[in-house]
Amino acid sequence: MRRDLVNLAFLIAAFAIQNCLFPFIPFLSAAPNLILILVFSYGFIYGQRSGMFYGFIAGLLMDLFYSGAFGFFTLIFVWIGFLNGRLSHYYYENLITLPLFLCMINELVYNLYIYIFRFFIRGKMNILFYFKSIILPEIIITLLFTLLFYRFFLWYNRKLEVLDTKHAVN
Amino acid sequence: MNSKTNKIILFVLSVVCFGMIAVTTLKDGWLTPFRTAVGYVLMPVQSGVNRVGRALYDNIQNYEKLNTALEDNKILQEKIEQLSMENTRLEGDQIELVRLRKLYDMNQNYGQFHMTGARIIAKDSGNWFHVFRIDKGTSDGIKPDMNVMADGGLVGIVTDVGANYATVRAVIDDVSRVSAMAMDSGDTCIVSGDLELNKSGKLKLGSMNADADIKEGEKIVTSNISSKFLPGILIGYAKDISLDPSRLTKSGSLVPVVDFGNLQEVLVITELKSEMTENSGNHTASAGDATQP
Repeated sequence: MRRDLVNLAFLIAAFAIQNCLFPFIPFLSAAPNLILILVFSYGFIYGQRSGMFYGFIAGLLMDLFYSGAFGFFTLIFVWIGFLNGRLSHYYYENLITLPLFLCMINELVYNLYIYIFRFFIRGKMNILFYFKSIILPEIIITLLFTLLFYRFFLWYNRKLEVLDTKHAVN
Repeated sequence: MNSKTNKIILFVLSVVCFGMIAVTTLKDGWLTPFRTAVGYVLMPVQSGVNRVGRALYDNIQNYEKLNTALEDNKILQEKIEQLSMENTRLEGDQIELVRLRKLYDMNQNYGQFHMTGARIIAKDSGNWFHVFRIDKGTSDGIKPDMNVMADGGLVGIVTDVGANYATVRAVIDDVSRVSAMAMDSGDTCIVSGDLELNKSGKLKLGSMNADADIKEGEKIVTSNISSKFLPGILIGYAKDISLDPSRLTKSGSLVPVVDFGNLQEVLVITELKSEMTENSGNHTASAGDATQP
């Protein structure tokens, strides 16, 4: 319970940092997609149900931020939470390669989703340009952040687990 | 069993999303109360993070500057620290002063419009979209379709509004289209955002008649016939104009006057084109005639 609340707070904080902080740092030409990192990690660590739940919340936040078709981001985030949740059997705490690989795939899928349904559909065919100038930089910086963030994430997760079990015993 | 329920949940959520997308593509209005309610909760968080982030960033820069000073002279450390802290604070004030003065000047130029200043507190972090959020909303008189300016030029248009925030779509966004005209020749054209051109800081200038007489560097302003943009707002300068392969139209690019990379404050014109045409229909009609090629 407590863990859910903390995770939710983290999600909202990540959303705020991603939109209110990163774009205003002048030397950062691409910003890491923190929300995506959180959603796929939650899914990967806690399983499908949690993945979908956090994906749903994350998607709602994004949809509320952008005007236009509501549900566009919710849909992709729910799916990302679900699909990464399927892989939670392979979750071992010390393995960082799989999360990094997952991060790359998720970023790719997420960005292609945006490209196809928001750009390709309007006749913007030059996928190579979009890949080079938008998708690739974002993947790289997000990978970098996953590398840093994931360790921290595991650490506080263990802390919370200890807290929760203590709480249950008392 | 468990994974089956998960699949059912996924299916239900997906259907709900599809439904929402379908409904809101047709009509966005009924979500406004929901957006506003969430805005009440999120806005303090967003503007808080924004403010803290700026302060932090300033401090980090400060610290870096200080470090080098320390190596040079440790005795003067405290003195330097004090002075440079003071200095950066004042510098910040000074920069803000210049920026606000510029905004004020512009306010004088476009004096016929009523404007209100607003601070940008959130932007899209990915590079797909160019939308941002400002810290004023319906309670400050902001309405959808109001025009937004900065640096003496057009920034974008308000797309949706909550009680204490508004979302603005910049003209450099890929779906943005502005009906415009050349200031001298009066030839009409369409200024549209384009991610590919945006890489080199330009917008697309299209749909000009083949016999249009738009010159290199000519001022491009919002057109009288636009349904959402107020007339005569400077967008930028024409560039690289050439005849299209069809030989029926000309196109080129446009260099915007607004520096979209460093936008922090904007001015929102609190007048709507739709209201303006209602109130002074005769005036705009005659102006429109005068500019026909």
